[in-house]
Amino acid sequence: MSELQVIESALDQAARRRRMNRALYGLSRGALIGAGLIVLVVVLFKLTPIPLWTVSAAAIAGGVCAFAGFVAGGWRKPGQQEIARWIDERQQLKERLSTALEMSGGAGAADWKELLVHDAARHAEALKPAELFPLRFPKPARWALAALVLAAGLWFVPEYRTFAHVQQKKEEANVKEVGKELADLARKELVQRPAALPAAQKAMEQVTELGDTLAKQSLTKAEALRNLATATEKLVKQEKEAEQNPVPKPLERAAREPGNRASASTQALQKQLDALQKAMGDAAAKADQLDKLSDQMQKIQQQAASMAANNSKMSSSDREQLAESLANMARQAQEDGASLEGLEDAIAALKANNPEEFVKDIEAASHDLEKLRQMAKSMQSVKQQMAKIGKDLGEQLDKGQAQAAVQTLQKMVEQLEQGNVTKEQLEQIMKEVAKAVDPAKDYGKVAGHLQKAAQQCQGGDKPGAGQSLAEAKKELQKMLDQMADSESMEAMIDALARADMAIRSGKMWSECQGGKCASCNGLGCGKCKGRGWSHGGKPGGGVGTWADEYGWTYFSENQGEPVDNSDIQRPDMPGHGHTERPADLNPNLVPDKVKGQVSPGGSMPSITLKGVSIKGTSKVKFEDAATTAQADAQSALNQDKVPRAYQNAVRDYFDDLKK
Amino acid sequence: MPMTTEQKIQSFRQTFDKLRAEIGKVMVGHHEIVDGTLTAIFASGHVLLEGVPGLGKTLLVRTLSEVLDLSFNRIQFTPDLMPADILGTNLVMETPDGRREFQFQRGPIFAHIILADEINRATPKTQSAMLEAMQEKQVTAAGEIRKLAEPFFVLATQNPIDQEGTYPLPEAQLDRFFFKLLVGYPSAADLTEVINRTTEGHKAQLEKVLDGAGLIELQKLVREVPVASHVKDYAVRLVMATHPKTETAAPVASQYLRFGSSPRGAQTIILGAKVRALTQGRFNVSFDDLQAVALGALRHRLILNFEAEAEGITTDMIIAKILEGVPRNADAVKA
Repeated sequence: MSELQVIESALDQAARRRRMNRALYGLSRGALIGAGLIVLVVVLFKLTPIPLWTVSAAAIAGGVCAFAGFVAGGWRKPGQQEIARWIDERQQLKERLSTALEMSGGAGAADWKELLVHDAARHAEALKPAELFPLRFPKPARWALAALVLAAGLWFVPEYRTFAHVQQKKEEANVKEVGKELADLARKELVQRPAALPAAQKAMEQVTELGDTLAKQSLTKAEALRNLATATEKLVKQEKEAEQNPVPKPLERAAREPGNRASASTQALQKQLDALQKAMGDAAAKADQLDKLSDQMQKIQQQAASMAANNSKMSSSDREQLAESLANMARQAQEDGASLEGLEDAIAALKANNPEEFVKDIEAASHDLEKLRQMAKSMQSVKQQMAKIGKDLGEQLDKGQAQAAVQTLQKMVEQLEQGNVTKEQLEQIMKEVAKAVDPAKDYGKVAGHLQKAAQQCQGGDKPGAGQSLAEAKKELQKMLDQMADSESMEAMIDALARADMAIRSGKMWSECQGGKCASCNGLGCGKCKGRGWSHGGKPGGGVGTWADEYGWTYFSENQGEPVDNSDIQRPDMPGHGHTERPADLNPNLVPDKVKGQVSPGGSMPSITLKGVSIKGTSKVKFEDAATTAQADAQSALNQDKVPRAYQNAVRDYFDDLKK
Repeated sequence: MPMTTEQKIQSFRQTFDKLRAEIGKVMVGHHEIVDGTLTAIFASGHVLLEGVPGLGKTLLVRTLSEVLDLSFNRIQFTPDLMPADILGTNLVMETPDGRREFQFQRGPIFAHIILADEINRATPKTQSAMLEAMQEKQVTAAGEIRKLAEPFFVLATQNPIDQEGTYPLPEAQLDRFFFKLLVGYPSAADLTEVINRTTEGHKAQLEKVLDGAGLIELQKLVREVPVASHVKDYAVRLVMATHPKTETAAPVASQYLRFGSSPRGAQTIILGAKVRALTQGRFNVSFDDLQAVALGALRHRLILNFEAEAEGITTDMIIAKILEGVPRNADAVKA
């Protein structure tokens, strides 16, 4: 190897080491920058409400910085001349290497070149690249590590968030939750009761879209309320337009009466009845026996519960007696057609003296029996509904049973279209149709079509009569559709109002519903207008819960026989809500009387609360505070928490606040 | 048999060391001044020695003339000294055949080594008579150009105090000096040695070390020393940094200098560095060599502005700042 090669070889080795060294240095510097960025973002995240993804982004950016530093550091391969100069400087070689390298390739005196190269080679041989460029992480790496540890520590420091921000986030989350519920409800409504008219369909779709918008976009409370108000306004307008064609009174009345649905038909009820009978089997025939069985079961359950509670073992005679009564009960249940498998298991567990298993089996049997009883009740209810359905077209129209009337008309049309109608049958149809003309006067054009059909029947014009009856049927169906759409739209308006209340009061969707309808248990009925939940807060006695009751507002001719309850003895009980206040009550909570402005001259109770007054400037805007207070007041009013006598005053007061 | 380059370099070092040793027999201390003067001689340059009286400036030059086997003349500059007194003049002379004719009578400038003592006491007219001699190594008298003998050196001295009746050297004159060396006070030990040598009747016996031909050979060798491009670049950047109000100027130069160094400054630095590399046994010039000679090479080539003079800033301070500020390897990668 020539002396020049010795120099070049040493320089190449040094260049490789230096490149790696620079790459590590770049990595460290990049890591330091990245770690600094992470610390900065974490600190910002802890102090200001920036989104969480910025921390993730900073972590990724930190990694990218470190990688970029490594690549940038090691990207360029240093040239021999450059490394020679660097080594000259570092090793105090007095520019021997760089001069020799430069002069060896250029024109010049050969003897001088030889001297230079010889001298430089002598020094190059002594070079140790590993010592010259030790591979170790430089200082920035340690600082980067320290910064990362700091960031990790800071992560556990709780975030500082202003009350306003927390409130805003809560509101946004609430808006999203309400939006989701609203969209789900609207979709369910669309699936269960597809609208007949395009306007109603469009309105329901708009509500669905609004729900999606609230759920997907981050809207403020004010924006959400504005959107809801706009949507409600549109729906109300559409509903008013729809109301220009009023629903016939019998239909409306039927819709409000429990168990008398306009959409109920004999066929549908028969189907429901068949399904219940199939589910109950032989027990359907002896539904009254189930109550007796239930009483017996309750007694046995009590015994079983006391046995499990006392953890006492029964004597063998008691067990035999209990087993015998269980066996009797099982036998009777079998005779009644009720299959209670739990009873057999319970007898086995009792014989095995296993009280826990016995209690479980008894509970299972009781559960099965209760289900059977519920089904029996439902079956009874369906039978009652079927019994209520009018016998002929006139009666059906009179009771507002439009669906049943439609089916009756359909039958007549089919009969007339078949052409093999006897004179007697035609006369019977004519009589039934003629009888229905008077009740059909509330149904608009239906009466006209029926009268025409009756005349045509009288004249023997069967096809004409069939045509007129089909027209009447079509008109009735149209009314039914219109009413269904109206109900759907009203349900949507109620849902929007519920969403408005939930957002305005900052409560959850489920907190703003009045509870499931007691009549249909949330399935939807005439009483709850198909919503599944009732108006007017939680059911129960007290002032301001009359919204659930429709019966007293509309007089029904079919109230049934009056009930004589004179023999019922009710003991006198102390009044609720007027108990004496305890003697050790905080003096600040003792009520005093002030003159009220609601009922001039009268007095209203008030409580003066004494405490430390809050001084300084409020951090909440007056408008916000007033809006919140108004929302709370509105919520209280909606839930009838405010006595009726004060409702107007409360409403006026909060309306004035806004001004 | 001709000497190889390596042998020549070896010879150079030996000669330099021997000269230093011989001068050291007479001169006490002042090693930097001695080295600077020798460096200038080997680089064919003139030296301006500045110092208060009695520090051995004249002694140094006289000793140098004794150790070099070269002709030596001393010119004592005074205000009434005329150019012709230095260069020579035409005189009417009678020839052996009785004819009278003008003959040029050579002045003291016609020698190998000239000691221009207290050069700043002569008038600018007289001082300028030295210009041609110093640069072109020739004189023009009575319309005739006369070459001076090679090697030719002017070693001038000047006194920084007692400025009454002196004429500061013009910039053009100063620029022709290779080095300006400042002769300082001796240390206590040196002063003791000076007393011992001069008051006890001791007379040093000096030996001729180098003749003119040998000196010229060594001067040629100096010029052959290779300099790497980045080292030259450093010299250039140093000089460029002295140019005030330019892009390359160092901040201190822009603040305190009226004029920077001429290209002669860069030439001087490189030549001086080459001599220094050889004296240190190296075959190439290093950054350290440049820095070592930069002060002597540049201090008389920089012209201070009023602000610098008012604040007592010297050119030495400015050069030190520039040496600090200008990076050696401009494009070298930092670790």
